[in-house]
Amino acid sequence: MISMLCLMLFVPRVFSSSTQVAVIFPQDPALWMGSSLTATCTVSPERGLHANTMYWTLNGKRLPSSTYGLLSTNGLSVTLHRLNGSQQQSGDNLVCHSRDGHVLAGSCLYVGMPPEKPVNLTCWSRNTKDLSCKWTPGGRGETFIKTKYTLKYKLRWYGRERECEDYSTGQRYTCYIPRDLALFTPYEIWVEASNQLGTATSDVITLDILDVVTTDPPDNVHVSRVGELEDQLTVRWGSPPALKDFLFQAKYQIRYRLEDSAEWKLVDDVGNQTSCRLAGLREGTVYFVQVRCNPVGIYGSRKAGIWSDWSHPTAASTPHSEPLQSGSCDPKSGEQNSTLRRELKQFFGWVRKHACGCSGMSIKLYDQWRVWLQKSHKTRNHVGKNNIPFISVPAQHRLHSYAP
Amino acid sequence: MSGHVKNMCPQLTISQAARTLLSLLLVAAIDSVSAAVVCRKQPCGSSLQRSLKLTKLIHKESVDLLKTYKVSQGDMSELFCQMSINNVPDPNISGLDPSERMLSIYSHCKAFLPHLKRVTEQQTDLQPPSSSLLSKLSTAHNRTNGLANQINCIYQTLFPNLPIPPEPVDGPTSVPPSQNVFQQKVYGCVVLKRFKEFLSRVTRELRTLKSQVCTRRTTFADTNALF
Repeated sequence: MISMLCLMLFVPRVFSSSTQVAVIFPQDPALWMGSSLTATCTVSPERGLHANTMYWTLNGKRLPSSTYGLLSTNGLSVTLHRLNGSQQQSGDNLVCHSRDGHVLAGSCLYVGMPPEKPVNLTCWSRNTKDLSCKWTPGGRGETFIKTKYTLKYKLRWYGRERECEDYSTGQRYTCYIPRDLALFTPYEIWVEASNQLGTATSDVITLDILDVVTTDPPDNVHVSRVGELEDQLTVRWGSPPALKDFLFQAKYQIRYRLEDSAEWKLVDDVGNQTSCRLAGLREGTVYFVQVRCNPVGIYGSRKAGIWSDWSHPTAASTPHSEPLQSGSCDPKSGEQNSTLRRELKQFFGWVRKHACGCSGMSIKLYDQWRVWLQKSHKTRNHVGKNNIPFISVPAQHRLHSYAP
Repeated sequence: MSGHVKNMCPQLTISQAARTLLSLLLVAAIDSVSAAVVCRKQPCGSSLQRSLKLTKLIHKESVDLLKTYKVSQGDMSELFCQMSINNVPDPNISGLDPSERMLSIYSHCKAFLPHLKRVTEQQTDLQPPSSSLLSKLSTAHNRTNGLANQINCIYQTLFPNLPIPPEPVDGPTSVPPSQNVFQQKVYGCVVLKRFKEFLSRVTRELRTLKSQVCTRRTTFADTNALF
């Protein structure tokens, strides 16, 4: 059984109301950059503090007494000229202190500029489903104080004005409209900026969602060798799934670079194929490859869309042109011929030396020679490291023991 | 076959009054569940250990939270955080015996919550939306609420016969009235500094409580019942 909470009131500690030690005027003002300010700190008379013992700090730095003005026994002013933009958006801390450093009062200054017209407003739609827009502040001064940007949009010929609500995409000066967008109808879109010092509105852009469509990068990008061709690689990829839903065609671009280079080479004439062969590459080299997609032919239009992001890099290496010096398991045909020839030469030499002419030549004789060769190699390895290029026949291994 | 169709399902006749009573009981049950914390009986040692771990985590985060806060407000000397502000809970845990001290931890947690919430609201207006301070404040609030619930459950388990005061009143008496920006900055600093100190004390207290309360065979409820 869960215990029920009692209905007695939780009585908080009784705190006495504090009497304000001092008051600063103006309190939390918004000021233009480059302007001047005279602030006053008036301390309560009953505190017994004299104004000529007080001092000011701005953002923790003591202000020179030459900027002070003694207004009365309990009032001290400070004058600041050519104010710089605020150090933080929460405001610069102008503080009045008593002689021993205690804080008597404070005021936060918001020094900046009114906003200028936001610029570079651009928007794009992912697969016609949504709309993202970004812009740039028109001026620098507005960045010192909190400036609010509101993206607004409406259908050009009808419809009410609406506001974008999602500014939390992680990037500043962007907004995201997730749904309920009309197609084949132009939108008017603009940005309004406002802060404590003024407001500004960007130019209005007009667009049809279908004119600014981008899509996902291609997936399943595979890069592989073309047989043993040391200067070529084949790139294959899948078209983005969304293309099937929106009657898009697509065109693609490939870019590739050497592993240790930052310079990309672009292949622009891929068309709407989903594979491509790269040629003229360096042998035995690792390449990084990326592919991106542009949806064209949206609902029959010939207009191109916006290029997608590049796919994740895929790496592959071209083959080497010669086999490795050691450990090669696949000798070329020329080498195979010379090996056979040398062996034949050794065999015939052995036959001439130890067989009764070549009349008894047969494959069996060859096999016997191979057996003998193996035994003599073992004997040689056991005795020492002498690398005997030709076969020597020990006396006890005369041919008569191998006579057919 | 008989032409009379038999009704195979027995009819349950419920009188109007009984239906009304049943509805009321259901509403009361739902209300009681939603109004109070649902506690499951757990071993004393592991419950307190869990709360101790949570407290350590919140304390560690509160150190970073205070640093982030100070940076966000601009150059502020330590003096700002030590200014006298009314209505902010003090960090001290009171009480003589374990039940009182546990209750003090619980009520302090609850008391800090509206202040953390107020600081979050104020800083939402002062900081850019991307400020990490806002998410850290929100996390501190959520975790402290969780800790309060844990302590509540442990208290109910250990001291089932001792009443728990109701939720503290969340209103104008617990958080300061509207303040100018400088006052908000100072207020937030005082709250977070005391919050950090409180959590440090809770960490020590829970270690002590664990050794005092969980190793004894006789519960304090039984002891209290003797008096």
